Amino acid sequence: MIGYVLQRVLSVLTTFFVVSIIIFLMMHSIPGGPFDGGDMPVPDAVREKLNAQYGLDQPLYVQYARYMWGVVRLDFGVPFQSPGETVLELLGRAWVPSLVLGGLGMLVGVPLGMLLGMAAALRRNSWIDYLASAVATLGLTVPVFVTSMLLILVFSVWLGWLPSSGWGEPQRWILPIIAYATIPMATYARYMRSAMLDTLNKPFVTVLRAKGLSERRILFQHVLRNSAIPLVTVFLPMFIGTATGSIFVEAMFRVPGLGNYFVSSIRTRDYPLEMALILMITVMFCIAYLISDILYAWLNPRIRHGGRRK
Amino acid sequence: MSTDPMTGPAAAPEMLSRPGRRQRGPLWFAWRRFLANRAAVAGGVVLALIALLAVVAPLITPAGPNDQDFLSEALAFPSGAHWFGVDDLGRDFFTRIVHGARVSLTIGFAAAAFSVIIGIPLGAAAGYFGGRTDWIIMRVIEIFSVVPPLLAAMLLGALTGGGFWMIVAIAALFGWVQVCLLVRAQIKAFKEKEFVRAAQALGGGPSYVIRVHLIPNSISPIIIGFVLAIPMAMMLEASLSFLGVGVPPPTPSWGQMINTGLDFMYFYWHLAVFPTIALAVTVLATSLFGDGLRDALDPTMKAQ
Repeated sequence: MIGYVLQRVLSVLTTFFVVSIIIFLMMHSIPGGPFDGGDMPVPDAVREKLNAQYGLDQPLYVQYARYMWGVVRLDFGVPFQSPGETVLELLGRAWVPSLVLGGLGMLVGVPLGMLLGMAAALRRNSWIDYLASAVATLGLTVPVFVTSMLLILVFSVWLGWLPSSGWGEPQRWILPIIAYATIPMATYARYMRSAMLDTLNKPFVTVLRAKGLSERRILFQHVLRNSAIPLVTVFLPMFIGTATGSIFVEAMFRVPGLGNYFVSSIRTRDYPLEMALILMITVMFCIAYLISDILYAWLNPRIRHGGRRK
Repeated sequence: MSTDPMTGPAAAPEMLSRPGRRQRGPLWFAWRRFLANRAAVAGGVVLALIALLAVVAPLITPAGPNDQDFLSEALAFPSGAHWFGVDDLGRDFFTRIVHGARVSLTIGFAAAAFSVIIGIPLGAAAGYFGGRTDWIIMRVIEIFSVVPPLLAAMLLGALTGGGFWMIVAIAALFGWVQVCLLVRAQIKAFKEKEFVRAAQALGGGPSYVIRVHLIPNSISPIIIGFVLAIPMAMMLEASLSFLGVGVPPPTPSWGQMINTGLDFMYFYWHLAVFPTIALAVTVLATSLFGDGLRDALDPTMKAQ
């Protein structure tokens, strides 16, 4: 088990290293720099001084080494679009709306999806089964910004019940939360259903029934526990879906969160902010994968005792 | 659920009841399983209709997609003359939507084709040779798995400035992984079989065995990989165009139109509603069709 964990950690570190190099090179292959003018042309001398101040006149490998040395100490530099603060401060500010809305969305979506999936598995080919598959297919195939657009059109434009955008009063949160919730709900409805069906068809359930155990006890004590393992690994794709969806949800509902800054950093060639965002998200995914692999191995006795997961 | 394996093998009893009939191939049974899946058939029919509309687009629309022929009626609501109204720049909106299907479908199919072209050789190499080759290819795939495709695609779109073929390239860059994994798994399962062993014993080299024996036996996963890559690429294109780093104007793209519609939706709802519905219906139909094909071709495979 310890060898397995170490091996996973090592492989995650290598992956992260490679990703950071690729992204760094990509960012610096953009033609043009942040001080090339556009709206506000800068004299050549001033531009050279600015480039020197931010270290942009050094060779690439020096810039990369300096950057990574800073990253290790959580120093991501100063965002070009808001030089009065550090990237870390800006991100600390931008995290809040994303985390609140995304978290609430998951909090709404995960239990709803699980309930829907359970109901679908227990009442196969009934209306609730069809509802669950409709929700799952719609949620997983239709892009989030399309769902958001439909929500805005129905609830703010036509019915006029809820505000369509902004951040502040809680009623502005309702639509983005619903938009966020669609992905976890769809994912969990689909996986819960197939995991439960899988378990319900196992011979041990037949044995329990033959033993005369009540359906309720079979369901809650045996089936649910045995269906939980795949759900742990499903958490990741869902997390990725929610995190990438957040860009569009925030763009649609004009929420000042991480996704919004990601878009503006791409538009304004804000290297420090953009690098920090992508690296952070990559680290989050690396850690999430690591945890889920280890959890999976730990939850599944066949893997816990029998070497590594392939 | 559209991915229900239990409704599939309805064809089996028929085979037993008519023993004198000629033997049916696996593709015939796959076709029967596909027809039994109503959602998938509906998806396929809708997709075919949209494709037909896209092909005959110039014949059924009153103007070119970029012609500002109706500037005096700009932002007009839907009417008999303009079924979906007129957009903010005086272009017939029905024309724009129908031509948007051309862009979306072309990008979807082209990206899926490139994904397959990249994915097959890599998957075949990884599955057949195993060992170091497999290790390297799997590490590359691992890198793709920790970087969220949409964020990376946005970055690439911004770096390259977007453009039609650039979007196809970006979508293929993230689409080959799935094809590669499917082909790899299939070839790993087949390479120990007797007929492959026999081919090797008779002196068949790796490229011969892969081409003549293993790829033809991987046709199901390849088709599955292809049809599942199409909606992914369409979503990617719409998302990037929505953010302004995809297909540049004036090329009609639904993602772009939705972005414009967002600014007008309180007063001119048609600019928001039609592209949204067009995109949702097309992506949904393609996914249902793809899921159905997957279940039909490989009944043991579960929805992921």
